[in-house]
Amino acid sequence: MKSNLWNILKKELRELFRDKKSLAMMLIIPIFIPFLIIGMSALFESQSNMSIEEYNKIGFAYEMSDIEKNIAEEMHIEIINGPEDKIKQKFEENEINLYIVKNDNKYIINSNGSDTSVYSMELIEEYYNAYKQYLQNDYLQQNNINSDKILNIITIEKNIIEEDNFFANYIKNYAFLFIIMAITVSATYPATDTTAGERERGTLETLLTFPIKSKDIIVGKFLGVTVSSIITGIISLILAIISLIVTKDLFSIYEGINIMFSPISIVFSTIVIIAYSFFISGLCIAIASTSKTFKEAQSALTPLTFISFFPGMIAFMMGITTTPILSVIPFLNFTLIFTDITNGTINFINIFLMAISTIIYIIIVFTYIIKQYKSEKVLFAK
Amino acid sequence: MIRVQNITKTFIRNKNKKQKEEFYADYDITFEAREGEIIGILGPNGAGKTTLLRMIAGILEPTKGKITFDKMDYKNNEIEIKQKIAYLSGNTKLYDTLSTYELLKMCCDIYGLSEKESKKRIVEITNILKMEQFLYNKIANLSTGQTQKVNVARCLVHNPQYYILDEATTGLDIISSQVILNFIKEERKKGKTILYSTHYMEEAENICDRVIMINKGKVIKIGTPTEIKKDTKTTNLRDAFFEIIGGVSNEE
Repeated sequence: MKSNLWNILKKELRELFRDKKSLAMMLIIPIFIPFLIIGMSALFESQSNMSIEEYNKIGFAYEMSDIEKNIAEEMHIEIINGPEDKIKQKFEENEINLYIVKNDNKYIINSNGSDTSVYSMELIEEYYNAYKQYLQNDYLQQNNINSDKILNIITIEKNIIEEDNFFANYIKNYAFLFIIMAITVSATYPATDTTAGERERGTLETLLTFPIKSKDIIVGKFLGVTVSSIITGIISLILAIISLIVTKDLFSIYEGINIMFSPISIVFSTIVIIAYSFFISGLCIAIASTSKTFKEAQSALTPLTFISFFPGMIAFMMGITTTPILSVIPFLNFTLIFTDITNGTINFINIFLMAISTIIYIIIVFTYIIKQYKSEKVLFAK
Repeated sequence: MIRVQNITKTFIRNKNKKQKEEFYADYDITFEAREGEIIGILGPNGAGKTTLLRMIAGILEPTKGKITFDKMDYKNNEIEIKQKIAYLSGNTKLYDTLSTYELLKMCCDIYGLSEKESKKRIVEITNILKMEQFLYNKIANLSTGQTQKVNVARCLVHNPQYYILDEATTGLDIISSQVILNFIKEERKKGKTILYSTHYMEEAENICDRVIMINKGKVIKIGTPTEIKKDTKTTNLRDAFFEIIGGVSNEE
């Protein structure tokens, strides 16, 4: 008798495409990617192009000299003078961005750590540097010392060889990290439905009485979930590329960044999506198959969404790059290699190691699932 | 012929919060079911009927003992045996998202019927069970009786030699139950072997050739309804059942 794998896969796909929740998970999650990219671009754009009028209202709770006022005016600082309690009140009512209190020669800057206060802080530090330089210069001149020799004992010149746009890279990396997360979310629902859900609905018993090998049932279910994940991944990739190309022309934060994707990058990105879909689908089925109920399976799978996201996020924060060892660490390898590819770097050794390690992980997961499906405790647990 | 030899099944259950214990769901059960015979499996809730039928259907593995179908066992001939059996339980659920036709076609594909055979078989079964009206309706939209008819239909597609029916009429109205009982009688006439577990003694008395009474996992009586009534000096199987079991449910 021929294998029933195709019949099981056909059944799984039919259930998947007819179930509104599975379809929603598969198709709606990728739609968040354009919103994420456009939203983050707009946010960073507004922050990087903040007008000075939005953060230059500085309270000085002490009497300022004419020199101080001149320097402040030159730097477009709007001076708000007054006693400390009134200045503090204005700060609390958000009329000023920060305020300074003076104790002898010590200036205490009071801020609240908001986005605008970060800019105000930068401005006021620049102001005090200028004022300090004026005082140092004045002191040296009064003592007949060449201030130029002392104050400019060394000179610093900035030469930016290659422009690294922090904001654009941040958005790009997170957009592709979100694809990994979207694939994970897309795999969890069908994996839960096809294992714990099928058991809860009572159809698993029917399936087990058919002349089908356990291996065919498991592989059919696994492939069904993988197809769902791959569809989500491909749609997410297409939407991410289109969104980045569109936002590139809309926002100035992308200046100096190349966001054109070569066909080879798209091919390798698709390979990573397929490899990750196989990996996460197997893992989701393994976890869900140990759960007695649909609800229990969902609870067990929820942490997986975060686990898929965090290693990549931490890697970005710490500036970790792909190495052969990291290429075999699950979750982290997919994110790092994905980022490499989208940044134009294709390292065949790392991609090969990722593929081989994924196959090994899938074999381990499969062995576990087959064992689960032979366990009566799992099949008939109430 | 189905031959059940010294079948024992144990499970682990919680004795208290910390301790677990092994218990016998079925213990040393032996019987034979011949061609053209309906064997009734009777017993109170928790007696071990469902576990026994699940083992015979190949869903559960016995802890001890052997089950053979015409000298074939599950260890060596699992797929061949499952090709010849049909399992229907009161708890058996169908795929809600499929239509009746799609479900029957899926079963035909699984049992390896060709396209031509499948179409012919589905038409035959639809006529026998009078399912024309809801053949293309989704199972989710069918009534309980219609769903049970579809369940019977999916058991028929591969023309099995053995039927394992576990409380198949539970929860059904009198008309829907009659569909299943008629179907069982028809299949017996064709020489099929039927194992039939039920709570309804009248049903068992009417259709079973022999009856196996089980309590606490052990066989306590085997015989024809007439023999059992004679042995217990009762006039019907219900009274005989109470006489033998003692009227105490295992769940109490």
